Amino acid sequence: MNHFCPRNLLAFLAIVTLGFDVPCIAVELRISPPSILLDSPEASQQVLVTKASSKNLSNDLSRVVRYEVIPPGIASVDESGLLRPRSDGTGKLVVHYQGQRTSIPVEVRSLKSPRPVSFRNEIIPILTKARCNSGGCHGKAEGQNGFKLSIFGFDPISDHQSLVMESHGRRVSITNPENSILFRKGSARTPHGGGQKINPGSYRDQRLLRWIAEGAQFELEDEKSDRIVRIEIEPKDQTLLAGQTQQLRVTAINASGKQQCVTTESEYESNAGPIAEVNSSGLIQASDIPGEAAILVRYLGHVTVCRITLPQPKVQFERPPENNFIDRLVWDKLERLGIEPSELTDDASFLRRVFLDTIGTLPTTAEARLFINDNATDKREKIINHLLNRDEYVDYSTMRWLDILRADQLKISPQGTVAMQRWLQKHFIENRPFDQFARELLTVQGNTSAEGPGSFYKILNKPDIAARSISQLLLGVRIECAQCHHHPSERWSQADYVGLAGFFTGLRLKKLPNGEQALVSLGGKDLPHPRSGELVSARALGSEAARFTNVADRRRVLADWMTSDENPFFSKAITNRLWSHYFGRGLVEPIDDMRATNPATNEPLMQALADHLRKLRYDIKAFTRTLLNSRVYQLSSATKESNKSDIQNFSHATYKTLPAEVLLDAICQSTGVVEKYNGWPKGYRAIQIWDNRMPSYFFRIFGRPVRASVCECERSNQPSISQAMHLMNSPEIAAKISHRHGTVQRLALSLSPSEIIDELYLGTLSRFPIEKEKILMLQAFEELKDNRRSASEDVLWALMNSKEFVFNH
Amino acid sequence: MFKISLGNRESSACDGISRRHSLRMGACGLIGGLTLPRLLELHAKAALPASPKAKSCIFLFLEGGPPHQDMWDPKPEAPLEIRGPFKPIQTKIPGTYVTNQLPLCAGLADKYTIVRSHSHRDNGHSTGYHYVMTGRKPTFADGDNPVPNNVFYPSIGSIVSRERGSRGELPAYINLPHPMAGGGPGFYGAEHAPFVIEADPTQPDFEVKDLRPGKQLSQKRLSLRKKLLTGIDEMERARNSGQAKVMSTYYEKAFNLIASTDAKKAFDIHSESDSTRDAYGRTQIGQCSLLARRLVEGGCRFVGVDAPGWDVHFNCFPSLQTDLIPYADRAFSALVSDLDQRNMLDETLVIMMGEMGRTPRVNAKAGRDHWSMAQTIIFAGGGIKPGQVIGATDKHAAAPSTEPIGVNDLLYTISTLMGIDPEKTYLGPLGRPVPIVNGGKMIRGLV
Repeated sequence: MNHFCPRNLLAFLAIVTLGFDVPCIAVELRISPPSILLDSPEASQQVLVTKASSKNLSNDLSRVVRYEVIPPGIASVDESGLLRPRSDGTGKLVVHYQGQRTSIPVEVRSLKSPRPVSFRNEIIPILTKARCNSGGCHGKAEGQNGFKLSIFGFDPISDHQSLVMESHGRRVSITNPENSILFRKGSARTPHGGGQKINPGSYRDQRLLRWIAEGAQFELEDEKSDRIVRIEIEPKDQTLLAGQTQQLRVTAINASGKQQCVTTESEYESNAGPIAEVNSSGLIQASDIPGEAAILVRYLGHVTVCRITLPQPKVQFERPPENNFIDRLVWDKLERLGIEPSELTDDASFLRRVFLDTIGTLPTTAEARLFINDNATDKREKIINHLLNRDEYVDYSTMRWLDILRADQLKISPQGTVAMQRWLQKHFIENRPFDQFARELLTVQGNTSAEGPGSFYKILNKPDIAARSISQLLLGVRIECAQCHHHPSERWSQADYVGLAGFFTGLRLKKLPNGEQALVSLGGKDLPHPRSGELVSARALGSEAARFTNVADRRRVLADWMTSDENPFFSKAITNRLWSHYFGRGLVEPIDDMRATNPATNEPLMQALADHLRKLRYDIKAFTRTLLNSRVYQLSSATKESNKSDIQNFSHATYKTLPAEVLLDAICQSTGVVEKYNGWPKGYRAIQIWDNRMPSYFFRIFGRPVRASVCECERSNQPSISQAMHLMNSPEIAAKISHRHGTVQRLALSLSPSEIIDELYLGTLSRFPIEKEKILMLQAFEELKDNRRSASEDVLWALMNSKEFVFNH
Repeated sequence: MFKISLGNRESSACDGISRRHSLRMGACGLIGGLTLPRLLELHAKAALPASPKAKSCIFLFLEGGPPHQDMWDPKPEAPLEIRGPFKPIQTKIPGTYVTNQLPLCAGLADKYTIVRSHSHRDNGHSTGYHYVMTGRKPTFADGDNPVPNNVFYPSIGSIVSRERGSRGELPAYINLPHPMAGGGPGFYGAEHAPFVIEADPTQPDFEVKDLRPGKQLSQKRLSLRKKLLTGIDEMERARNSGQAKVMSTYYEKAFNLIASTDAKKAFDIHSESDSTRDAYGRTQIGQCSLLARRLVEGGCRFVGVDAPGWDVHFNCFPSLQTDLIPYADRAFSALVSDLDQRNMLDETLVIMMGEMGRTPRVNAKAGRDHWSMAQTIIFAGGGIKPGQVIGATDKHAAAPSTEPIGVNDLLYTISTLMGIDPEKTYLGPLGRPVPIVNGGKMIRGLV
């Protein structure tokens, strides 16, 4: 059959899709690139062979087909489809698959007189790939054994210097290349503490030697105006089935358009190893956990991402109804992944969840009973509206923002903490738009003890600390790495870092006559680049130099930029923060680490939510209402076969740990015994207390944050043995359970065992017991016949130690 | 919420933060360039023991800063205001001297090794504690952070917990009698936080906090409670297969701990004979050391004993002579002999040290102030070569006269002896790789 086929046409999908009719082809093969040029002794070319099949699935055949180079003397090819040059000449690469033969042209040239090796373009990648310049080795600040490289090779000039100039020419010996320490140690020809990083005789080894022998040039003359400007990868977006592999192909592109394959020299990293792993040759291996992974590809400071989708096969389900656009976009994603969403959760667990999430408070027995018995069809919507207007919504939101704004009373004084608490409370009471919140936070001036966020700047007491904290907090962009080196998986450089810091250089804390402090922001100056020393104009991330004409406070220009509709970060950052609070996981994780190389698990949803918030003019309550009214928020935490291993697509509700304060309040409410806090009026609840330093064993073991950073990750959400033991055995909680004015005593005096059990279930789990549970609990009253109070205590104890109580689900 | 009195925790001689600050600032000028250039560092790998012997580590932390010259590093030739009132005595090892305040340890000098050249530059209590436990310079001012104060970097105990796990029912990492200031898990998270006893083992009614339910509960009610709770959880699990199970791991661990007879036995210091309890001394450090031995027997990997009271700024010699040194002398010697007799010494690394040493010159108030430039660390067991003195200080015990041994050398050594690769890295919350130990190398000659 083969001889009927126009072989050359088979080679290119481009041609096939242009409409050529090739009915005899059994399998549609795609080979890329369409032609191969190898023009240096160490050059290589990765070939991709792909079988296009149905439903956008694509099968990578690069390791399945058989390769043949004709004539064989010009190049070698291995089983993975990697070509290496042998001698100058032209010919072709033939791909054999199931009796079909397809070929592409191959040219090999300049092997005898190749272009000299360039340190900047070709040696730095070797040092990076071999991890010589990683943070654990010579890349760390103090270097290793006296030899220091810039981390990830961000500073090629100084790296070249330390290799070629330092140590009296021993590292790189141009007169005797094979004696160069660089050549000998990296390959462990001479004992190397870090072990063998480069295989002797390998292409990297040969390239290093050639570079030294050619005079160890920093860069070639023509490269100065023709640098590598970007990398391209193939494929960019790929759906894989469980266990499938996919080879990546990476091409570096110069300003002039010149291309070279750098697949073997690039670095790869998966952001979701359990879903898809990648090895150092760029081979992606899919696991059997459905989901999405982003494969980060890095070469010479250029980064890009390949998105891998791993659907579950053979999952059919009926698309659930949609309450709003959130549902539509989540169902879209779940359909694509073959993950069936859980059922709508029942009224009682919805009620408990929405109470704990929005007001950090358990529903009372009366509230739970009322809601469960309410027959109105819009009762969920109504309770959401009700909760967002409760005082506890203000208390709980304020508490969370005091954490994020690092309101540590020891650092910013009790007065400063109270000032911040009042400011936050007012914001949430009046539901001021979030862009206004950000603007006030950014431009505050005056007495730091007066109501306002001024004391925040007592901690952000240096321009660069202010810049990076504000960036992480309001933009979800972490630029901390760029303080010392080019961010390894982002575009931010040290210039961006000091550029942003330049907005905060006019800030001063002035002492007032009464001993308090006032924040003043006047003028300011540009800061020097940490390496070159040249002044860097203040500039927002990814923007031009800022203009400060007629502006006294530089921060105002930043605030304008941040809250403008064009800002690519601001709306997404707060969207992700709120989403993460209500859904237990951010669309981007960590929630304040947004970058091209760490995409959202559902990008269309992230975009739609960010647009929605902007359209709502940053009305946080209205936005929260949208979140809570979605069916996605109201899904059950009970999983189905196809979604039980899903952790990032919101196909079911997750178990969330209760913050220490919320848990303590819940214990107090369930037992009917308030906690007395030292120095606070009776009746204050844990979520109302601003004093983060108040000594408390409970808070310590349940992980109340110390407010040392603007990272929400500070709040520990991991359970510990001490926590479980405290809930089970501590005299403090035992005293609440058996308190003579507590819930148990009140119920035991007047109600029947069955009624007591109902009340205790409603008060702790916000639901009635199912029949089996009722039977179980009644055993307590049978076994302790003489003592209804003890039986009630034991039931309450068991309920408060159940997972259902301790978690929000 | 509650408070347990823990011996002389509050009776430390230091008069608070302001004084510490002034001392710290005063001492700054004295700090010279002692650290050898990194260029000269020898390769650590060469010194690694063939196979790590230590299965557990007991870390006796003399909080406040024990005076090295009044204990392990006597300077009899120095002027009185330097050498202090204590006289040197020869130990079991000819030519090795300690002060006459350590008679019991002197008789046991073939069982441990004295490292006299430990030195670092953090002269604060909470900051020094952080530094010793994590190998990282703290970013907060001294006295300025809650406990645990290492909010980012994990302590050595948490590292051991993460890398080695428990050998039995007991938690892998335990602090007694209260949490160590720099002993937290940092970014490793609550899973690797120390399990804290929160009770004083010298008390007749000593009991681990929250390990047992209240005494008023009858056996009948206890089993009833267990039945009810198991019942609810099983029903929940039936409803919700996947997640509840993952979340309940810690509750199960706690349950196991509470239910475990091994664990109860390990914590039951009352079951020790009076003679053994007396041998360790009926002091907090003595009974904590005894309890530490029991916990190691029960499978704990890292026991950190916080023994406070060593911040002797005023009139220090009477308290050193009557309370502090004799208690430590008795506790350490009893612990090492006891482990040795039980054939546990080889697999149990015992370390005694503080966050700093004390000033060479006795101050105007007959005390000694903070001095991190020189300190002595005592090592026993766990595969180290005992009976040695490693390193030395100058004639006033003011600074190492041999190659200084830094905090990271200490942590590197502990890790290596415990069979942990000190250069292994984990990604911190910012995505940066954080090596287990921040540089450092094996203490030369220790193994």
